[in-house]
Amino acid sequence: MFRSFGPNEALYIITAVQWTLLLSAIAFAGGAVGGMAIALARVSAIKTLRYAALSFIRVFQGTPLLMQLFLVYFGLSIMGVGINLWVAAAAALTLHASAYLGEIWRGCIEAVPAGQSEASYALGLKYGDRMRYVVLPQAAKISVAPTVGFLVQLIKATSLTSIIGFVELTRAGQIINNATFQPLTVFSLVAAVYFVLCWPLSMWARHLESRFAVATAR
Amino acid sequence: MGYQFNFAPVFNNFDQLLYGALITVQLSFGAILIGLLIAVPCAAAKTAGPAPLRWLVSLYIEVIRNTPFLIQIFFIYFSLPALGIRFDPNTAALVALAVNVGAYATEIVRAGIESINRGQIEAGKALGLKGHQIFRYIIIKPALRTIYPALTSQFIYLMLNSSVVSAISATDLAAAGNNIQSTTFAAFEVYLVITAMYLVLSLGFSGLFSAIGRKAFSYPLAR
Amino acid sequence: MKLNKKLIALAGAAALAAGMVAGPAAAQSVEEIQQRGTVNVGLLVDFPPFGILDQSGNPDGYDADVARLLAEDLGVELNLVPVTGPNRIPYLLSNQVDILVASLGITPERDEQVDFSQPYAGIEIFVFGDANLEVTGPEGLSGQNIAVARASTQDTAITEIAPSDANIQRFDDDASAVQALLSGQTPLMGASNVVIAQINTMAPDRFDTKFSLRQQSQGIAVRPGSDELLGYINEFLGRVKADGQLNALHEEWVGGPLPEFVAETE
Repeated sequence: MFRSFGPNEALYIITAVQWTLLLSAIAFAGGAVGGMAIALARVSAIKTLRYAALSFIRVFQGTPLLMQLFLVYFGLSIMGVGINLWVAAAAALTLHASAYLGEIWRGCIEAVPAGQSEASYALGLKYGDRMRYVVLPQAAKISVAPTVGFLVQLIKATSLTSIIGFVELTRAGQIINNATFQPLTVFSLVAAVYFVLCWPLSMWARHLESRFAVATAR
Repeated sequence: MGYQFNFAPVFNNFDQLLYGALITVQLSFGAILIGLLIAVPCAAAKTAGPAPLRWLVSLYIEVIRNTPFLIQIFFIYFSLPALGIRFDPNTAALVALAVNVGAYATEIVRAGIESINRGQIEAGKALGLKGHQIFRYIIIKPALRTIYPALTSQFIYLMLNSSVVSAISATDLAAAGNNIQSTTFAAFEVYLVITAMYLVLSLGFSGLFSAIGRKAFSYPLAR
Repeated sequence: MKLNKKLIALAGAAALAAGMVAGPAAAQSVEEIQQRGTVNVGLLVDFPPFGILDQSGNPDGYDADVARLLAEDLGVELNLVPVTGPNRIPYLLSNQVDILVASLGITPERDEQVDFSQPYAGIEIFVFGDANLEVTGPEGLSGQNIAVARASTQDTAITEIAPSDANIQRFDDDASAVQALLSGQTPLMGASNVVIAQINTMAPDRFDTKFSLRQQSQGIAVRPGSDELLGYINEFLGRVKADGQLNALHEEWVGGPLPEFVAETE
C-alpha cells in the first residue's frame, strides 16, 4: 500500500496539472461571459440592474470561495439536479470569476473618459454601438493587465476544489502524499508546479501594467 | 422531490459557530498585525536595500503570490516538522496567514512609498516644516492614504481565505461548520448559515476599516 | 414549500442552460436499478485498502470489489462514485448515489440517518501512538493531542471517553490524521487495525497500540425506506459470505480472513 516517492509519483502529480488548467480555462471562459454581463449591468442606466449586479458582487466577494463551493456542491444536489464534481467545481468558480471580473471590468469601463461616450451619443450612436465601437475597445486595452492578474488568482483558487474531492493538482499531491508520506517532497513539488504556471502570468501582468503606466503618464 | 430545510441543528449548535467566528477574527487580526510587521521592513528593503536583500524579498513575494494558500498551509503544518519546525494547528494557521498577507502587503506598501513625490518634500521644507512634520504629514500620511484601500481589501480577502485552515484541524468558523455538518448531516443549511456569517464578518471588517480610514485621513485634500 | 419549488425551477433552468442532461440518481428499488441498467455506488478512495485509487486513477479496493460483485449479481453496470468521509451520508441522502459501500461503520447515530445491511466488513479501532508514551486507558489521554478523521467512528469513540482536557484534532480524512502522527504533530491518533498495520510497515517500532476503543462492523447503506433493496443486499451478503467469495476478497485486500464478528452475523 505504501509506495516510495519515485518518478511515477512525480509524474502523477505533474500530469494532474491538466485538470487544474482545464478547470481554470472553463471558469475563466464562464467568468468572462458572466463578468461582462455584471460589468455592463453595473454601468447600466437601469437602477434595478445596477443594484442586482452590485449585490451579486458584494455577496461573492464578501464570502469565502470554499463556502461557495460547498453551497453549490450540496445545493445543486438537494434541488434534485444530478451533479458531479466537474459541474460543482466549474459552476462555483464561474460565479466567483464573474464577480471579480465584473468588478475589474466595471472599473475599466468607467476609466474610459465620459466625453467619449457623450461624443458618440451626440453623433447619434445607439447604446449597443456606443459600447461596442467606442467604450469597450478602449476599456479592453486597460483591462488586460488586471485580467491577467486575476487569472493567477483563479488558477490558485482551483486548488480549493480539492477539498470537495475534485482531483486536480492539489488533490493529486494529497493522494500521493497519503500513499508515500513524503510531505516535504510532495508539497514542494506541488508548489513548484503552481509557481511555474502562475509566475510567468504574474510577470506578464506586471509588464503590461508598467507599459500602461508609461503610456498614460502625464 | 421536496427537500425539507432543517435549520434546527445549526441553531442548536450556534455557540460553536460563534466560537469559531471568534477564532476566525482573532486569526485575521493577528495575521494582519504580523503581516504588517513583515511588510514594512520588507518594503523598505525592496525599495532601498542592498541587492541580495532585494532578491531575497522578491523571492519571498513571488513564491507566496504564485502558489495557492492551501499548499502553503499544508507545507507549514505537514512539511516543516520534517525540518524540526512544529506549530499547533491554530498557530500554524496564524503563521501561514501572516506570511501570506505579508507578501501582498509588502508590494502594496512599496507602491505607497514609491508614490511619494520628491517635490512635495521640497515644498514642505520651503514652508518651514520640521523634519518630523515632513515625515508625518508629507510622507507617511499620504502614502498610507494612497495604499489604504488596497491594503484593507487585501485584509478582507485574507479573512475569507482563512476558511481553508480547517484542513489542518485549526478550529475556525469553517471547522466549526464542518463539525456540525458531520454530526447533523444538514450540510446545505450549515454552509448557508456560515456563508452568511462570513458575509457579516466581511461587511463588519469593511465598515471598521472605512471608519478607521475616515478618522485617520480626515484632513482636506487639495484639488 | 413555495421557495423550494422556485429553487427547483431555477435549478432546472440553470441545468438546461448549461446543457446538462444528468438526471437525479434516485433509485429506491431493485427494479428501478435494473431498469436503468446502472447502479451508482459511493465509496471512499482515500481509505486503503478498502477504497483506493489505482495507478490509473480509478477507484479500487475491497469496497470496490464488493460493489462489483453486487453489480454483477444485480446484472447491471457499476458506476463508482468517489465520496469522502464527511460527505458520504449527504451524498446518499441527496440521491447522488443509490448505495454506499463506503466503509461506513454501523453506529446508532448513523442508523437514524440511513438503513444498514448486515456487516460486510469489520475493523477494530484503537488509540495508537508514540511507543515512548505510556497510555493504558482514557485517563491517559489527558492533556494529549489526538488526531482523528472528522466524523469517523474513532472521532465519536474518543470524543465520548476522552477527559475534557484532551485535545482532539479533527482532520478532513484518515490520511491527514496519519500525516499528523507521522510528522510528529500529534503523539496519538485514533486508528483502525488496517491503518495501524500500514503505519507499522511504514515506520516499524515507532508506534504501538494503546488500548482498544471498539470493534466496528461496516455495513452497506441505503436511504431509509428502501426496504426491498436492503432485503436484496442482505440476501446477497448472506450468499457471498456462505460461498467464501467475500472472504476471498478480504484475504486479497486486507491480508487476512473476515473478522469473526463480521463473518458470523446472520
